[in-house]
Amino acid sequence: MVIGLLELTAIVYLVAGLAAGAGLALGHRRLTDVSVGVLAGGVAVHALSFTLLHRGGEAPPLTNTAAAVSFMAWIGTLAFLLILWRARVAGLVVLVAPMAFMGVFFAAVRMPAGGVATPASGGPLAHAHVLLASAGLALLGLAGLAGVLFLAEHRRLKRKRHLSDALALPSLEALDRVNAFSLAVGFPLLTLGVVTGALWVQSVHGRPWTGTAHETWSLVGWAIYAVLVAQRFGAHRGARQCAASAIVGFAFLVFAVLGVELLV
Amino acid sequence: VKILLLGMNHRTAPLEVRERLAVDDPAPALGKLVACDEVDEAVLLSTCNRIEVVVLTRNSDAARLRLRSFFRRDLAGDALSDAQLDEYLYEHRDGDAMRHVLRVASSLDSMVVGEPQILGQTKDAYRAAVECGASGPILDRLFQRAFATAKRVRTDTAIAERPVSVARVAVSLARQIFEDFSHKRALLVGAGEMIEMALSALRDAGLQSICVANRSAERAARLAVDFGATAHGLDELPALIAESDVVLTSIAAEHPILTRELLVRALHTRRGRPIFVIDIGVPRNADPAIDELDDVYRYDIDDLASLADENAEERHRETARAEAIVAEEQQRFDGWFAALRAVPTIQHLRRRLEEIRVLEVQRALGRLALGEAEREAVEALTRSLVNKILHGPVTRLRREAGREEGMAYLEVARLLFGLDDDPPAGPGERRRR
Repeated sequence: MVIGLLELTAIVYLVAGLAAGAGLALGHRRLTDVSVGVLAGGVAVHALSFTLLHRGGEAPPLTNTAAAVSFMAWIGTLAFLLILWRARVAGLVVLVAPMAFMGVFFAAVRMPAGGVATPASGGPLAHAHVLLASAGLALLGLAGLAGVLFLAEHRRLKRKRHLSDALALPSLEALDRVNAFSLAVGFPLLTLGVVTGALWVQSVHGRPWTGTAHETWSLVGWAIYAVLVAQRFGAHRGARQCAASAIVGFAFLVFAVLGVELLV
Repeated sequence: VKILLLGMNHRTAPLEVRERLAVDDPAPALGKLVACDEVDEAVLLSTCNRIEVVVLTRNSDAARLRLRSFFRRDLAGDALSDAQLDEYLYEHRDGDAMRHVLRVASSLDSMVVGEPQILGQTKDAYRAAVECGASGPILDRLFQRAFATAKRVRTDTAIAERPVSVARVAVSLARQIFEDFSHKRALLVGAGEMIEMALSALRDAGLQSICVANRSAERAARLAVDFGATAHGLDELPALIAESDVVLTSIAAEHPILTRELLVRALHTRRGRPIFVIDIGVPRNADPAIDELDDVYRYDIDDLASLADENAEERHRETARAEAIVAEEQQRFDGWFAALRAVPTIQHLRRRLEEIRVLEVQRALGRLALGEAEREAVEALTRSLVNKILHGPVTRLRREAGREEGMAYLEVARLLFGLDDDPPAGPGERRRR
C-alpha cells in the first residue's frame, strides 16, 4: 500500500513537472499555476504515504535511505509551497517538481517490499537525526534549485536577452530570498541533525565519532555549508555568488550523505 | 439587414484630419444617426488613431450616403471635400465589417499591434451607444462577440505579452531583477523624453522613491518637482548610486560617469544588492566594463531598442494565430447573423399555419355542439399538430439559413407553403364566393 502510494505520488509529481515544463516551453503562465496545484496534490498523497508508514511501526521508520529520500522530497516540496505564500516564485516549480519526482521514484524503487525496519539500536535519537538532517538537506536542496534558476536568469540578463513576461519565471530578487530563507532555516536543521547523529552514535558506541565514511563526509559537508552560510550572512556576498555556492554546497552534501551511503 | 462600417484610421488619414473629426461625446452624433430612417443601430468609435461608425441598416446604399454626409458635415464641419473623403475613408460591409470590428477590438488593426488600450476604448464606445439607445440587439451581439474575441486573442496568443516600447522593455527587465518596486529607489541622472518615459513606466509599476541628479541644480529641482523626487547635484552621485536600485541615466558627457570603480564601491556599500542601470545617454554614460560586475545589470539604448524590435517581430508572428481566432469568431457571428434571414420567413410560415388552424377549428366547431372543455381540447390538439409539423422545417430553415445555399431553402419554403400567395379565405369570404 505504501509503495503503491509512493508510485502514485511519483506519477503526480511527474505530471506537475511535465505541466511546468510545457508552461515554460509554450509560455503559458496558466500551465505553471496548474503545475503548482498538481504538485500540492502530490504533496497530499505523499503525506498520506507517511501516515500509512507510521501506522506500520512504532515510530516513523525513516532510518532507511529510501524512506529518508522520500521524506526529503516531501519536506522540500512542502517548503516550496509554503514559500509561495510569501514570494512570487511559482516558476521554480519547473525544477522542484522533477526533483521531487526523482526523489520519490528513487524511494519507490529502493523501498523494501516488506516495509522498512527500524534499526534495533534506533530509538528517538536515530529518528530525530534522520528527520532533522533530511529536513535540513531538503531545504538546502531548495536553495540549490533556486540557485540553478538564478544563474540561468542571471546569465540571460547579462547577455541582454529578454523573455516573455508570460513565462512566470521568478525575479532574481525572489530567488535570492528563497536562497536566504532556505539557508537560514535549513542550516540550523542540518546542524541539529549532525548533533543528534553524534548523540545517537554516542549512545550506541560510547563515543560520538566512530570514523565511518558517512560521518566523515557528513561533517566535511556540514563544514562547507557553514562556510557558505557565513559568506551569505556574514560577508554579504552578492546574490550570484550565493546562488553558485548553494548549488556546489548542495551537490557536495548529496554526495556526502547519500552518495557515500549508497557507495559504501 | 446589413452591417455597414465607415471610418478612417492612422493608416488612411493624417493626424490633423483625425484630430478634426475626433468626438468626445458620441451620444448626440449617434442620436442623430439612429433618427434617420436608413440607420437602425449605430456605434461610434473615436480614438486618437481612428474614428469609425458601424451601423445596422435595411438600405445599405442610403446608409452609406448618410454616413458619408455624417463624416463630411457633422464631424468635419464641411471641411473635407468628396475627394478627400474618398481618400481617407474606408468602407466595410457585412462579413468584412464584422471582421474589422473583431480585429479592432483585438488590437490587430492598431498602430502598435497588441496594445491593450483599444479594447477599453471599444468597450467605452459600445457602452455609450447602449446608454443613448443607439445600439440594438444585433450590434450588441457583434460587440459582445468582439470583446470575447479580444479576450481569446489575449489569452490564447502571446500577442500582448512582449513589450514593444523602450520604456516598457525597461520595466519588464526590472521585473525580472526585482520582485517588488514599492520599496525600491530610482536615481535619475540627467533628463530626456525617453528616460522620463521609462521612469513613468516604472512608477506605474509601483516605484515610489525617486531622486534626481543633474549638473544644474535648477534643472534637477524642476525635474524633482515633476516626479515628486528629491534634487541633488552630480557630486553626490557615489552616495546616491549606493542607495539606488534602478539608475536611469541620460546626460551629455564625453566620458562615462558610471565607472567600474564607482559601481564597485556602491555594491560594497549595498552588500551585494543588485543595481539595474538603464543608460539612454549617447555617448553612453555607463562604462560597459561594469557588465563584468555580477550584481550590476546594464542596458543601454541599443540593447533596449534591440529587445523592443525583437518583441515587435514576435508579436508580428503571433498575429497569424490571432487572425485565425478572429476568422473563427467571425464565422460564428456570421452564422448567427445569416440565420436572422430566416426569421421573417419562419414568422410568416407560423402566422400562415396559425391562420389556417384557426379557420379550420372555427369551421369544425361550428358544426359540432361541444362543451367548453372539449373545445379547449380541440384547440390544444390542433395547436400541437401544427407545432409538430412545423418543428422539422423550421429547425432546418434556421440551420440552413447560415449557409451559402440558405436562401434557396427559404425560397423553397415560401413556394411550398404559398407564403407569397393570398392568405386563406375565411368562412365568410367563402360564402360570399
